[in-house]
Amino acid sequence: MRTGTSKADAGQGRGHSSPFFRRNPVLFIILLGVLLLVSALVSVLVGTLGPIGPGHPERISFSQAVDALFGGGGDMYVTVFWELRIPRVLLAGLVGASLACAGTAMQAVFRNPMADPFIIGVSSGAAVGASSAGLLGLTALVGVAAPALAFVCALATVMVVYKMGTVGGRVYVDTLLLSGVALAAFLGAVVSFLIYFAGEDYHQLIPWLLGSLAAARWSYVAMIAVPAVAGTVTVLLFGRELNALLLGEETAHNLGADPEFLKKIMLMTAALMTAGAVAFCGIIGFVGLIVPHMMRIVVGADHRKLIPAATLFGASFLIWADALSRTVIQGEELPVGIITALCGGPFFLYLLRRSRGTGVMS
Amino acid sequence: MKLEVSNLSYSFYGRKVLREISFEIGEGEFLGLMGPNGSGKTTLLRCLTRYLPEATRAILVDMKPLHTLSDREVASTFAVVPQSSSTDFPFTVKDVVLMGRIPHIRSRIASTSRKDIEVVSAAMEVTGCASFADRPFSELSGGERQRVVIARALAQAPKALLLDEPTVYLDISGQLEMMDLVRRLNQEQSLTVLAVLHDINLAARYCDRIALLSQGSLEAIGPPEEVINSDTILNVYGVDVAVRKDPFTHDVFVMPRTVRSRASRDGMRVHVLCGGGSGGPVMRQLVDSGCSLSTGVLNVLDSDYECASDLQIPIVAEVPFAQISDEANDENLKRIDEASAVVVSRFPVGPGNFKNLEAAMYALDKGKRVMVMSGGGPPSIDFIGGKADAYIKRLVEAGATLVEDVEDLIRQLAGTEAVA
Repeated sequence: MRTGTSKADAGQGRGHSSPFFRRNPVLFIILLGVLLLVSALVSVLVGTLGPIGPGHPERISFSQAVDALFGGGGDMYVTVFWELRIPRVLLAGLVGASLACAGTAMQAVFRNPMADPFIIGVSSGAAVGASSAGLLGLTALVGVAAPALAFVCALATVMVVYKMGTVGGRVYVDTLLLSGVALAAFLGAVVSFLIYFAGEDYHQLIPWLLGSLAAARWSYVAMIAVPAVAGTVTVLLFGRELNALLLGEETAHNLGADPEFLKKIMLMTAALMTAGAVAFCGIIGFVGLIVPHMMRIVVGADHRKLIPAATLFGASFLIWADALSRTVIQGEELPVGIITALCGGPFFLYLLRRSRGTGVMS
Repeated sequence: MKLEVSNLSYSFYGRKVLREISFEIGEGEFLGLMGPNGSGKTTLLRCLTRYLPEATRAILVDMKPLHTLSDREVASTFAVVPQSSSTDFPFTVKDVVLMGRIPHIRSRIASTSRKDIEVVSAAMEVTGCASFADRPFSELSGGERQRVVIARALAQAPKALLLDEPTVYLDISGQLEMMDLVRRLNQEQSLTVLAVLHDINLAARYCDRIALLSQGSLEAIGPPEEVINSDTILNVYGVDVAVRKDPFTHDVFVMPRTVRSRASRDGMRVHVLCGGGSGGPVMRQLVDSGCSLSTGVLNVLDSDYECASDLQIPIVAEVPFAQISDEANDENLKRIDEASAVVVSRFPVGPGNFKNLEAAMYALDKGKRVMVMSGGGPPSIDFIGGKADAYIKRLVEAGATLVEDVEDLIRQLAGTEAVA
């Protein structure tokens, strides 16, 4: 999309020429798409049984790997690639995209660049669900029961937070934010309590609490794909209105957008996307917070460019993080949430320092 | 566009914020909306934009009731410029102006059309923000931001511009630039303007008509020179002002005096002999200290005459530039009879008003306390060759007290009161 007026650019004497990708956002988004495809392909090849990654006695070559991708080279390879690796990479992409897109939407609804997808209590609610599943004897990370319970508890928590923040049909985002924080603290205590009594089952819960893609399977991919795709499309359709919302609810109203409807549909969509991601993969922090930030630096704040950029880059980001989690320690697998937090924390601090000069968190 | 508001009332948690407001705005009119804080100005604007949707039946836009319009139609009827706009997000100026097109873009999928871009460019050109179109909005100065917001409002292609105290955060040059820009748009594009303004003088200067709100009711509406007078301003704001006409533009403007209640005027009765602008500060401070004043003889058009009428002090008046007549002098002496003290300000004395000095001697003869303001120098400004100075000396010999300044005067008067 080009909105540039040549006169405006010519009249700018202060060397305030906008960065290349800000003037060519479509090109940037296409590049992000290419990056995502390449990342997915590379990530499939990364791992203990793959041509890339730490040494292993049964390391295979590229040609063997490509062969296996097309069903050759024996049952074990087919299983590794088609039953484990490919669903896992797809899951990483969908979860990363969901978190980044939901994070962008939340930051717009709360008009606060510090907001993340978990701000309205999704993660704390899901944690209660997942840990009580352990206590109820439902094996935490196998099957559908535990994710289902996590999903339901996540949405129930969001409903409570939403009710607390809504007075007379109006959503008050400040109240919503504080309710989210308060409820998260309360539910954190509930989770601690449940873990205390979980005994041995506690160990099964750790990967979930730290965020992990290890349980990936095709059924998960299918179930997450629905909220991920539908949610992203929904958020995209409201790009213009989200822009207006960032200048205040009254301004949004005066520009013909309905801020109440907008807040409700965005909260609902982001909650569903996040709950889906959390239910299957646990609490993967920082993706939803920093990916929108990084993309804003490149394409600016306009949601019609920001949402596709953040969604695509969020997918790539989590795919890399997952590839790293599989390879960084030989023979071990780190929960991916540790990787995202290890990368995300320092990067976030860097952003904070960077924004001090301008007072703008971008 | 014609806007009609009839019997608009609005309550918030049982408190009446607007009471039966009725008025009309014609095509291309510039209406100022004024009133104290909490008088309902912003609420009225919000009723118009339907941000407060409860009262829409009382509002007709081009004969159509406001509640029959869609959100987009309302947003392409009224464009709002708030007090200030800010965001923590890195929108460029162009991004912000482009938001003005939202009510005109029907499809959620469609990208920005050529027409939208043309409208946005024209709006930035007119408001003078084309030169910084690519700068981040949040890095602009307050005045620049308001221009961008006006550009956004123009991009809405509205029928009327609603401004809610658009100049409060701007310095004086920013205020004038802003108001000049709005008036230019009002005149060149015959854009109807409804502006909430706090600055009475700014409003009087730019508005065709002014609507004055007080506690949710429409107190007055009409041209500035009708609406702005010391009575309405005192009623609505509780502030004493003098209303004058700018000698260059003939716009009315107000000069605030003090915030006071007029009830506390039952103090000591003092008659002030003054003229030529010497009596203004004396009278004001005596009024503030609770004295009940009278003054005379003053020529109409004398600045002390205007000052006394602003303070609503009884004046013994004489026609402009005339000598003090016997009738006026007699009335003046009658006032002195009623007073318990007489103050002679340091006024210029000529043949026309010499009787005012003689009146002071009359007061001494009647046993009144007489205070002569010396101001540190010669007590009078003598235009009759020393005759006035000599007369003042005689007054002092006859028992008048010389006082340094107004504070000294008030102290001395307080002493008099204690004795009396």
